[in-house]
Amino acid sequence: MKMGGRRPPLVPDAEVIRALAGLLSETGLSEIEYAVGDHRIRVARELTANAVPAANGYANGHGAPLPVETSLPAAAPVTTAVEHPGTVTAPLVGVAYLAPQPGDAPFVRVGDMISKGQTLLIIEAMKVMNQIRASRAGRLVRIFVDDSDPVEYGAPLMLIE
Amino acid sequence: MFEKVLIANRGEIALRIHRACQEMGIRTVAVHSTADARAMHVRLADETVCIGPPQARDSYLNAASILSAATITGADAIHPGLGFLAENADFAAAVEETGFTFIGPSPEHIRLMGDKVRAKAEAQRLGIPVVPGSPEAVRGLPAAERAAKEIGYPVLLKASAGGGGRGMKLARDAAELAQMLPLAQIEAKAAFGDDSVYLERYLDRPRHIEVQLLGDGRGEVIHLGERDCSLQRSHQKLLEEAPSPALDAADRERLLATAVAALKELGYKSAGTMEFLYQDGEFYFIEMNTRLQVEHPISEMISGVDVVREQIRIAAGEPLGYRQSDIVLRGHAIECRINAESSEDFRPSPGRISDYHAPGGLGVRVDSALYQGYQVPPFYDSLVAKLIAYGADREECVMRLRRALAEYVVGGIETTIPLHQRLVEEPDFRRGDYDIHWLERFLARPS
Repeated sequence: MKMGGRRPPLVPDAEVIRALAGLLSETGLSEIEYAVGDHRIRVARELTANAVPAANGYANGHGAPLPVETSLPAAAPVTTAVEHPGTVTAPLVGVAYLAPQPGDAPFVRVGDMISKGQTLLIIEAMKVMNQIRASRAGRLVRIFVDDSDPVEYGAPLMLIE
Repeated sequence: MFEKVLIANRGEIALRIHRACQEMGIRTVAVHSTADARAMHVRLADETVCIGPPQARDSYLNAASILSAATITGADAIHPGLGFLAENADFAAAVEETGFTFIGPSPEHIRLMGDKVRAKAEAQRLGIPVVPGSPEAVRGLPAAERAAKEIGYPVLLKASAGGGGRGMKLARDAAELAQMLPLAQIEAKAAFGDDSVYLERYLDRPRHIEVQLLGDGRGEVIHLGERDCSLQRSHQKLLEEAPSPALDAADRERLLATAVAALKELGYKSAGTMEFLYQDGEFYFIEMNTRLQVEHPISEMISGVDVVREQIRIAAGEPLGYRQSDIVLRGHAIECRINAESSEDFRPSPGRISDYHAPGGLGVRVDSALYQGYQVPPFYDSLVAKLIAYGADREECVMRLRRALAEYVVGGIETTIPLHQRLVEEPDFRRGDYDIHWLERFLARPS
């Protein structure tokens, strides 16, 4: 989401990352860093003994790139969370509220154990308060939005592990 | 004037509206589906909001999401573009009720013209001729014969409940009518569960001619001339030109005056188009589109008026920027619709644009959201570019169009460019001698 005319944070480009990851396997390198202006994408993998065939020193194709890390000047954790299976994303556009009423205690806090179906936050759209519930149980490790933040469709809200 | 406008559309028309806003010093909000995150109108907009998944019903047709996006970005007005929610009266009303300005006509006028039967009756009330037909369903053969005699052969039998050509039969004389009436009734019954049919005069070689209109909502209405959109395939326009090569000055004057007078009477606000069939010197109203149209640029080229800018000004409560006497229609303009589809069988051809080079030079305009590396998504309309050529006269315009088509490179997908290149070489097209059935016949011919 671009808002208020600020330069948008770089959204990780899946194609670029995939291309870099491919290069990684192809060349047998352990790390590639790609930078445009202030934005950097670093793709790295752990080289273990059995991932590096002795014969030619090149990765043999099943050394799939492991961690993909993007390094951004701002809001980096938000953008890396998109594809994490435990990420709760916004099912609709609106304004996120972390508490039932202004001044109330929040629905959940980082570190809480969450049960499936528990209300995590509210997204207001068209004057309707939509309760966003947990689709799985686990520990809440991260909240990506502040109270009253506008959120777009698909925006990461929280991370449950 | 508005400070911020939300553009509730995608593709080249979203970009077109963005351009008008930027030139007026208005900030833009692009709303988009997840499939359009990298679209050009999104890249250029001042603010963007993702409103849903690729399927249009969950994103571009999702009124609640669009209104939420307008709320969180603090937009003043919403431009619906064309297609999607542009002719949805309920959406127009919801926009106003939520406290935004709808850049378009009143919900009442959208609703009136959206109902084709009511629109036809309203046109008649406003003194506009419609295709002669039986006022109601005909029951038996004697009634059908009486109606046909009054209307004049050939007549078309149409299902009262239907549309889309089903239950439609052509009768050239009384003998054929006796034969076709029961068939039409059976087909109507099978398709729509209602066997009532009505008659309409069949026009065998009409042209599709439409008038671009602008009203201020207070009784002032101007026209920007007519457009000839007779080159159609399955009711989809492929190439449009302005002015029509088929009209003489007297017929043109009569058509434009009739359309302007009708909309003055209605008190119409914003841009709109009245569409007519034209044959043997007679015009017949078919429908009115209460929105911006794909082919509006050719009217802009010959009039020098920015239609989108006028829409925005009118919505902001300003008077029309022009009187009719200020409008001088000059030269000739043709638009080619470039679709992401095969020129041979019109199969859709989404995919990645591997190479892109747009034509340029004097009198050439390209309205397109394409760029090299862009992925044309498979979820939406296949229109990806509009190539518009302008010339001092039709001959200069056609030669320029031909030159520009040859320069245009769109790699990676199939497009309708080769079809347009064939079209501009056709002697009938060069003479401006075609009707709404011509393109279908041309396509049926081996190339």
